[in-house]
Amino acid sequence: MPAETPTMVARKSLSERFGTLLLVAPVMIFIIAVFIVPLVRMAWLSISDPKLSLDNYVMLFSSALYAKSMLRTFLISLSVTLICIFLAYPLAYYAATRGNLWGRFLLIAAALSFWISFIVRTYAWLVILGNRGPVIDILKTVGFEPAPRVLFTTTATMIGLTHILLPYMILALYSVMTKIDGNLGRAALSLGATPFRSFIKVYFPLTLPGLVNGCVLVFIFCLGFYVTPALLGSPRDLMVAGLIATEVQDLLQWGLASAMAMLLLAITVTLLTIYDRLIGLDRLWG
Amino acid sequence: MQSSKGGGMDRVNRLAVTLVASLIGLFVVAPMFVVVPMSFSSAQSFEFPPPGYWVGYYEKFFETPGWLIPVGNSIFIGSVSAFLTMLLVVPAAFALVRRQFRGKNIVRLAVMLPLMVPSIVMALGYFEFFGIIGLNQTYAAVVLAHTCISIPIAFLVVAATLKGFDRNLERAAISLGANPLQTFALITLPVLRPGFLVALLFAFVHSFDESVIALFISGRDVATLPRKMFDSITVDADPVIAVVSTLLIGVVLIGALIGHYREIAALFSSGRKSGLAHAR
Repeated sequence: MPAETPTMVARKSLSERFGTLLLVAPVMIFIIAVFIVPLVRMAWLSISDPKLSLDNYVMLFSSALYAKSMLRTFLISLSVTLICIFLAYPLAYYAATRGNLWGRFLLIAAALSFWISFIVRTYAWLVILGNRGPVIDILKTVGFEPAPRVLFTTTATMIGLTHILLPYMILALYSVMTKIDGNLGRAALSLGATPFRSFIKVYFPLTLPGLVNGCVLVFIFCLGFYVTPALLGSPRDLMVAGLIATEVQDLLQWGLASAMAMLLLAITVTLLTIYDRLIGLDRLWG
Repeated sequence: MQSSKGGGMDRVNRLAVTLVASLIGLFVVAPMFVVVPMSFSSAQSFEFPPPGYWVGYYEKFFETPGWLIPVGNSIFIGSVSAFLTMLLVVPAAFALVRRQFRGKNIVRLAVMLPLMVPSIVMALGYFEFFGIIGLNQTYAAVVLAHTCISIPIAFLVVAATLKGFDRNLERAAISLGANPLQTFALITLPVLRPGFLVALLFAFVHSFDESVIALFISGRDVATLPRKMFDSITVDADPVIAVVSTLLIGVVLIGALIGHYREIAALFSSGRKSGLAHAR
């Protein structure tokens, strides 16, 4: 199909412009009414509740409770992202380079877990890590008496988040790895590189786009994750999303909760904008 | 890759990678399946391994309105919001893929925006917004919220389908005397239908699985299944959740078998083929 030239655009009839408007207007009206308006209200609330000031934002950075929660959220997200890299890389590498039945099976298993709801997977970990679950049993058998608490700790949160977000990293890496030409590695080997050197100098750099892609997805998901930390984590060591929920549901601190949500939104959008400049946002979701 | 030099070392390396990859695969898959024995457990609480087995909690699930109503709510909300999503997304995708107009980039950005906002932020926004306009704890509120967050996902699928559509098919129909409406109904729509159905399915699943916004705005009356499951963990430690989880995993597995039937069949036949190659 030949691309339309600027003159064709300029010559467009009034009825065609009206047609375009008719096609685009419903979704735009919907996005403004059901997406933009609630967010603008929230922004307004964050500077007007209880009174018109920036007190809520000052509070976020001056109170130890909120600063600690933000730092904790950042550290958990960073750790989960790093753990996901180390777990996803071998699996994706195996599935992409061997091309055998077992590799494809592992990949399909990872893709399938996308379709299984967060709550189901979180519940599974609740059972596994719980006081009457297998992990505690094993710890007792090994000689921890009394066994340390695992459920309702930050460790449990990190295990759950890693398990839930790992498939994103696996698929992000895999989609890049399948496009890598195997001859490049062979060329490096034939020119005298050791397999390790060939991996570090040739293969690994080629997988970087997928790695960055997976990291952005996992890290951003982690920052705003509510359900899994709420069910597996400690109620005293809340992540930002949990704190927002507590502020508004238990304490009715609308202004403060809104300010926190605005901050979370700002961080997410900043990260995505940087990503967009570097790589292009269209790539992120395939 | 065939290398005879250092073959033994190579084999050890390959085996190590296989082993590590398989263990990680086990970590991805295995935890989900603890819910299957849990659903047949006779324990009152979340105990694993189960002390005994029965099907009592399955009976309880199918007899308890407190569980069946949320299932119905989720199916209803998911269906309505999926259709509403398509109604909004398909025309916009046609305009964005096929036409040039001023403000195109703004529309494209607007359609993708909901994907960039964490659910907890939207949940708080909707809790306040629907509270003010008196829609909290209604079907309408949950449908509108879920439609909004499904728009980007459905758009990506529909736009990709449209881009892959060969417009010569339409030109051929027109040149053979069809009017634009006939062309759309008899040519365009049937060709695009599979892609549209995938988008519809994505939108439905996105709504069906959504928990955070539903936790904030659905209330007890229009509670969705994820909300009910969340409550059943936090409030009453109800073992029926294992039954629901098992059924949900079962649906996904059956769906995968149907959806990937050809790939799975090919997988097994290719496995057999490579086995034959080995034998030869």
